[in-house]
Amino acid sequence: MITIVDYGMGNLGSILNMLKKIGATGQISSDAAVIGAATKLILPGVGAFDAAMERIQQSGLRPVLDARALEARVPVLGICLGMQLLGESSEEGVLPGLGWLPAKVLDFRRRIPSELKVPHMGWNLVRTATASPLTAGLAEMQEPRFYFVHSYFMQCQEPSDSILRTTYGLEFDSGVQRGNIFGVQFHPEKSHRFGMHLLSNFAKV
Amino acid sequence: MLRVRVIPCLQLRDGALVKTVQFKKPAYIGDPVNTVRIFNELEVDELAFVDIEASRLGREPNWALLREITDECFMPLSYGGGVASLATAERLFNMGFEKVIINSATLTTPGLIAEIARVFGTQAVIAAIDVRTNWLGRAQTASHSGTRTGDMTPDRWAAALEAEGAGEILLTSIDREGTWRGFDVRLTASVTAAVRVPVIAHGGCGTLAHMAEVVQQGGASAVAVGSLVVYQGQGLGVLVNFPERDELARRLGGAA
Amino acid sequence: MTELRVCARCVYDERTPGVSFDGEGICNYCRQVDQLAEQYGTGTSRGEAALQAIIEEIRRAGRGRKYDCVVGVSGGTDSSYLLILAKQWGLRPLAVHYDNTWNSAIATQNIRKVTSALKVDLDTLVIDNAESEDIYRAFLRAGVPEFDASTDIAFAQTLRQRAARHGVRYILEGHSFMAEGLAPVGKNYFDGGYVRDVHARFGERPLRTYPNLTFWQFMKWALVYRQKFIRPLWYVAYSKADARRVLEAETGWQYYGGHHLENRATAFLHTIYNPQRFGLDNRNLAIGAEARTGQISHEEALRRLRTPLTPDPELVTYVKKRLGLSDDQYAQLMSGPVRTYRDFKTYKRRFERLRPFFFVLAKANLVPMSFYLKYCFPQRAS
Repeated sequence: MITIVDYGMGNLGSILNMLKKIGATGQISSDAAVIGAATKLILPGVGAFDAAMERIQQSGLRPVLDARALEARVPVLGICLGMQLLGESSEEGVLPGLGWLPAKVLDFRRRIPSELKVPHMGWNLVRTATASPLTAGLAEMQEPRFYFVHSYFMQCQEPSDSILRTTYGLEFDSGVQRGNIFGVQFHPEKSHRFGMHLLSNFAKV
Repeated sequence: MLRVRVIPCLQLRDGALVKTVQFKKPAYIGDPVNTVRIFNELEVDELAFVDIEASRLGREPNWALLREITDECFMPLSYGGGVASLATAERLFNMGFEKVIINSATLTTPGLIAEIARVFGTQAVIAAIDVRTNWLGRAQTASHSGTRTGDMTPDRWAAALEAEGAGEILLTSIDREGTWRGFDVRLTASVTAAVRVPVIAHGGCGTLAHMAEVVQQGGASAVAVGSLVVYQGQGLGVLVNFPERDELARRLGGAA
Repeated sequence: MTELRVCARCVYDERTPGVSFDGEGICNYCRQVDQLAEQYGTGTSRGEAALQAIIEEIRRAGRGRKYDCVVGVSGGTDSSYLLILAKQWGLRPLAVHYDNTWNSAIATQNIRKVTSALKVDLDTLVIDNAESEDIYRAFLRAGVPEFDASTDIAFAQTLRQRAARHGVRYILEGHSFMAEGLAPVGKNYFDGGYVRDVHARFGERPLRTYPNLTFWQFMKWALVYRQKFIRPLWYVAYSKADARRVLEAETGWQYYGGHHLENRATAFLHTIYNPQRFGLDNRNLAIGAEARTGQISHEEALRRLRTPLTPDPELVTYVKKRLGLSDDQYAQLMSGPVRTYRDFKTYKRRFERLRPFFFVLAKANLVPMSFYLKYCFPQRAS
């Protein structure tokens, strides 16, 4: 059972929809008790960094999330903003992230040529880096690509934590893993069969 | 490499799919849910829906139909038509739409774009600019299904909307819509030069060459297509279709 | 327990409506196919010559017009292949499609690929989606096996309408009795009166966009417009497997895996509705035909027929969604009273009474010969 954390931000229905499509069992929950007993978590997120961290604080879910991720070490998958929250901080805001992964989130606008539009929006290719059960079989697919929509990108401090890389004016980490903590910058639930493949992998982790 | 997005833009009216020419004479195309399923099977990049009567008639989106549509899709969806409040936008996002398209409300409800962008992020808001060329040859922005005219030129209006928080601009040439003549490249170039956010060119696409032209010469980041994906050809029968992926890749390449 | 008696050549068994077996254990449908093959010279030089004469006539009659014939297309094997043949023969076809709003992507992409590779124009008639749903609900409530009758009738009417609109008298159809066999009447009946009556009794919305082939429309097209029906595949050797290979190579056409599975309504009919509600397996037509023509062995045919159908559960979800049915409502409809076409006001008896008249029309190709054979004879009790 994959539990999708509802802290008030993110396209939860779509994620659940794709889990159903691939035959995985999923549920959406904002309940601390339910999340506290979850064996696998997805942390979604759409919107601004600080707004998300505030919502998580206000929801009272921070303690159970930390417990699940860092003590029980259940597999956790952060999606889009959800992946960015896994890091320590973001140039988008002032609040600290969850800090489950040594990484910082940086602004595209300051670093890529001005002809390139921001947000990075659309289908882009991914390349596998460090091997990971989350990305198994992706390299064998023809031109594995996913739907991205973000203005900020993550850069891992430990290069070995990077499992997928993508180029948009610069190379950034589009997929990360550190132990039981996984993250993808793109939206698998909106990436057709590529997303289905990735979520199937996560269901099997 | 970031691919150029080719986005079928589907018009909804009264629970059915239709297609207008220069915003007039909607012709019946078919069932929205089945058509969406076809595009999903074809793995198109993205889909946009516009309810062509909602704003003009002051109506709410057709929630039942939209729910059926989101069930069918595993790619990004945008919706426009009658989006005039934060509550409506929120309901759409919860339902599974990635982005809302705001057009008429930019005039009737100033500050709406900023509000939605603040809560949901700028990437969640597409500002739609419909442009008509008046008899003097000057480009004018229009709203409410083309029935009202605005003051600013399209490029300045686009810049204003970007400043307010729009993450993308959907630029539609009313004159070219449904005519298969090609996009208004000059108009597109004037707008892409004025903003940093992606601009989606819309209106007039008849061939893949038109797409390449508006991307390479007009600076568009994406193209929205209407007639091309619902008819076999100009003046020919209804046929829901999408160009072959390898052909698109060959013609359009990527951006990064 | 005695086993079912099966034809020694095809796969029709004693349950098949109107079937009988001769001294050699071969069924009447096989014999009928043999007769047609002899009559039309299928695959022989005689058949070719007869077809060439018809093609010449079509070309002559169509001179000075934009199109000289109309070909009904669905994205499926037969109609797509027929377009290739039509172009090879130097004809100038207009492709016509009736869209019941339940097409799959494969169907529309196939139509696109074939018409664009062959540079053939397409004309389409799309029914209003709400009407389409009303008709299907009506057929479910009626409890008859012919769930998709409305599509077949509308397709026929659309072909004739579009032909008339473009001033074309010749309609080419991709039916092949060799590749598909002849359909027994019993659970596979359709005519415009049937659709109208089922809808009148069980439908809710008025039909405004549905193109019905009523009896008088049928007469108008045959007697006033004098439209002629040609089935080229009755004259030439034809195998679906070969056709698919040619289509794939020349147009990028793709196989959709199974008779008529390119349309969701027909897929529902063949893989879920008919098998579950009536115990009907419509694969017997095509599989039987393959055995009859020696493409596969008799044992292989029986084995294939015994392999269970794999219905797609998503298809049921889709049907419920389109027709606005809850799980309970769907379950009720799938277990309600069962009826046949004879419980409705169809044209069947009229067709039977007018048999000599239709024989003349069939000989003149003003109505399809297969129509005459299927409709103008009383259904034999099995």
